[in-house]
Amino acid sequence: MRAVVRLGLVQARRDRKVLTVWILGIALLGLVTSTAVAGQFGSERERASIITVAAASPAFLFLRGLPDGTGIGSVVFFQGYSFTAVLAGLMSTLLVVRHTRADEELGRSELVGSTPVPRTAPLAATLLMAAGANLVLAVAVAAGFAAAGLPVAGSLTAGAAVGAVGLFFGAATAVLAQALPSGRSTNGAAAGLVGAAYLIRGIGDALGTPDAGLTQVTAAWPSLLSPIGWGQRSRPFTAADLVPLLVVAAAALVLAAAAVLVRNRRDLGASVLHEGEGKDRAGTGGTSLLGLAWRLQRFPLAGWCLASLALGAVAGGLAPVVGNALDGNPALQDLIKRLVPGEQPDVVDLFTTALLGIAGVVAAAAGIQTVLRLRTEEVEGRAELLLAVPRSRTRWLAATLVLAALSVTAVAATAGTAAAVGLGLSGAGSSQGGIIVAAALAHAPAAAVFPAVTSLVFATVPRLGSLLGWGFLAVGLVLGQFGELLGLPVWMQDISPFRHSSAMPVESFEPGGALALTAVALAGAGLAAYLIRRRDLTA
Amino acid sequence: MPSGSFPTIETIRLRKDFGRAAALTGLDLDVRPGEVHGFLGPNGAGKSTTLRILLGLIRPTSGAARVFDLDPWANPVRVHRDVAYVPGDVSLWPALSGSEVIDLLTGLRGGADERLRRELIDEFDFDPRRKCRTYSKGNRQKVALIAAFARPARLYLLDEPSSGLDPVMDAVFRRQVKRVSGDGATVLLSSHILSEVEQLCDRVTIIRAGSAVETGTLAELRHLTRTRFRITAAAYPAMLEALPGVYGLHDDGAGTVFDADAAELGSVLKALAAAGVTGITAAPPSLEALFLRHYTGPDDQV
Repeated sequence: MRAVVRLGLVQARRDRKVLTVWILGIALLGLVTSTAVAGQFGSERERASIITVAAASPAFLFLRGLPDGTGIGSVVFFQGYSFTAVLAGLMSTLLVVRHTRADEELGRSELVGSTPVPRTAPLAATLLMAAGANLVLAVAVAAGFAAAGLPVAGSLTAGAAVGAVGLFFGAATAVLAQALPSGRSTNGAAAGLVGAAYLIRGIGDALGTPDAGLTQVTAAWPSLLSPIGWGQRSRPFTAADLVPLLVVAAAALVLAAAAVLVRNRRDLGASVLHEGEGKDRAGTGGTSLLGLAWRLQRFPLAGWCLASLALGAVAGGLAPVVGNALDGNPALQDLIKRLVPGEQPDVVDLFTTALLGIAGVVAAAAGIQTVLRLRTEEVEGRAELLLAVPRSRTRWLAATLVLAALSVTAVAATAGTAAAVGLGLSGAGSSQGGIIVAAALAHAPAAAVFPAVTSLVFATVPRLGSLLGWGFLAVGLVLGQFGELLGLPVWMQDISPFRHSSAMPVESFEPGGALALTAVALAGAGLAAYLIRRRDLTA
Repeated sequence: MPSGSFPTIETIRLRKDFGRAAALTGLDLDVRPGEVHGFLGPNGAGKSTTLRILLGLIRPTSGAARVFDLDPWANPVRVHRDVAYVPGDVSLWPALSGSEVIDLLTGLRGGADERLRRELIDEFDFDPRRKCRTYSKGNRQKVALIAAFARPARLYLLDEPSSGLDPVMDAVFRRQVKRVSGDGATVLLSSHILSEVEQLCDRVTIIRAGSAVETGTLAELRHLTRTRFRITAAAYPAMLEALPGVYGLHDDGAGTVFDADAAELGSVLKALAAAGVTGITAAPPSLEALFLRHYTGPDDQV
């Protein structure tokens, strides 16, 4: 046990900076959301009106979660919980992979494994550290809410809900790390798990049943398959209930025990997925930079496309249900008409638009990840080997930028096609299939700005590539999703490229914005390709 | 490009700072066409930094580096056309097979000589089908060596290339260096393994703390070293103590041991003849001794 604590402290020390950023960032998001809700929707009446609209809108329910009353705390929890839980999940998965499979792959575990500590000690230490990090996160989130003036008891429950979800994903990742061969694949699978949990909760919530007053929605059964859905059932600011959180924590405990058990029985470095034999000779494209970029990126790209396929399928598959719910409820339709005067867009279109917007974010993430791969190549020393051949760095970067652009397009097109097929099969919605695909592709220019900016950072201050690349996406996302709520000045909201792409099919396509975004992306990429020649290769 | 009119590699007062740390502090290096040049130094002396500058991967803080009379930072692609490189720490793509990496690297340089490629894989006793993730350090080294030697180049930059190789593979490696050298190529071989340099190199530059402390042919450098004598004599040859150029005289139980400067060998031998010596061994000046003398300060001379 002493060894476990000692190893845990070493691991915590290694992570102290990155965890501080995660925890403070997540807590700050909670604090800012709370202040904004209190400021913008100060009166009960104002809050009731937005909650009613949300309760009647499956798109809202899918993205945010379940409305649970009209108190300030309830509205804050509804607005922020799902995103916060996803962030807590990602923090925990990255943390666990860093100290388990990634260390194992790089041979660091071997060194620790040679010391007189039990085989499972490093894993136990990581799980302990993940538990500690999520405890601190829970307290920080609670403190953020409380600081904004929300009830202390409710704040603590809300913090615990976020922490419990983080803990669950930490433990689940520990299991994945036993089965998958590399840190990279484990990170991918774990992120996929977090995404799936968000998606499944979204489906359950979108299919939920509103109460008569439209201030509360009860989730449908799929939400019970998601730890994020369970966390939401704690209802911190109305009928606080810790039982769902205990269920999540118990599930985490079971997973953690399973991971430790497997680790104790398996060889160091071994994985369930066996490493097959490689190719005897390089195939076509195996001797070009673009071919190499493709070889390195094809599996991650497949993962991104799978995520956007799921989003598109949800949009296509859920739309008819969403439409029916409203059709069968004239009182609801009437209410929405009164709340939102003017021409009312089709509810199915609204839902599709929202989901395709998220697909745009996934496309941007795919692009960023493609570019950041170069940084890994540089840090791990492969760039040095590769760049000693007669090819310029500009070509090296250009090959990856081409692939990033293709990835962005492919991810967007996948979501659009899946949505179009789903909508076509069900006959729901007012838009033709072609329009839906175009709607998804309309986000591609905005998404392409992100890899272009990331490449610019990589070309100038490579060490900050990952931080600024993903940070820019987080800013874009927060500004896009929370900008109006937070009452930020328009110029600040306009920093997000997503603000400049057309939200089809609800809005009509506006070529000006798309052209401007494409120009920005091309300019960024071009500048990066020029500047990459002017810096040292660094580790 | 004509060769012979200028050095294949030339650096003049080369300096490279990483933040406040100076990796190179004014390195002068001169590698002539067709020679195998040993680049000797301890860990952290600046050998890898020098090779990276020669490849144009990093830019010198001050001073000049020229390869084939070109500035490698300004013309990396032109320089790389004629260069084969083996980095000190070979990192490969985990999901690619060894064969794919060899094809990738040689392909980007214009394609491997298929016969050479086959022979090298055979000689290095290398299994190219496995994924790079599963290769040991020695096998990763083999990938880089096969890729470097499978296509002829004018200049081979080899950064501690035999680290991780067993003695049999090391012999294969040395044969390859001799082969390309015989074909007229220039080789810059960074190493801290002296026997390797002694066997392969025409000239040697010794680098310490970022600058060259010694450069020349092995014969020239040996001139600076001392011969180690071990003698047995009827009586302790006390008169050696008085001779100039004799160092570290002592009795180690099995005999009397001392080092003698090359310049004083004549007088040492005369003294020994007079001392009634019954047994003598004289070890040739090893590079080892030279090496140690340059690495250790003046206070702890060997």
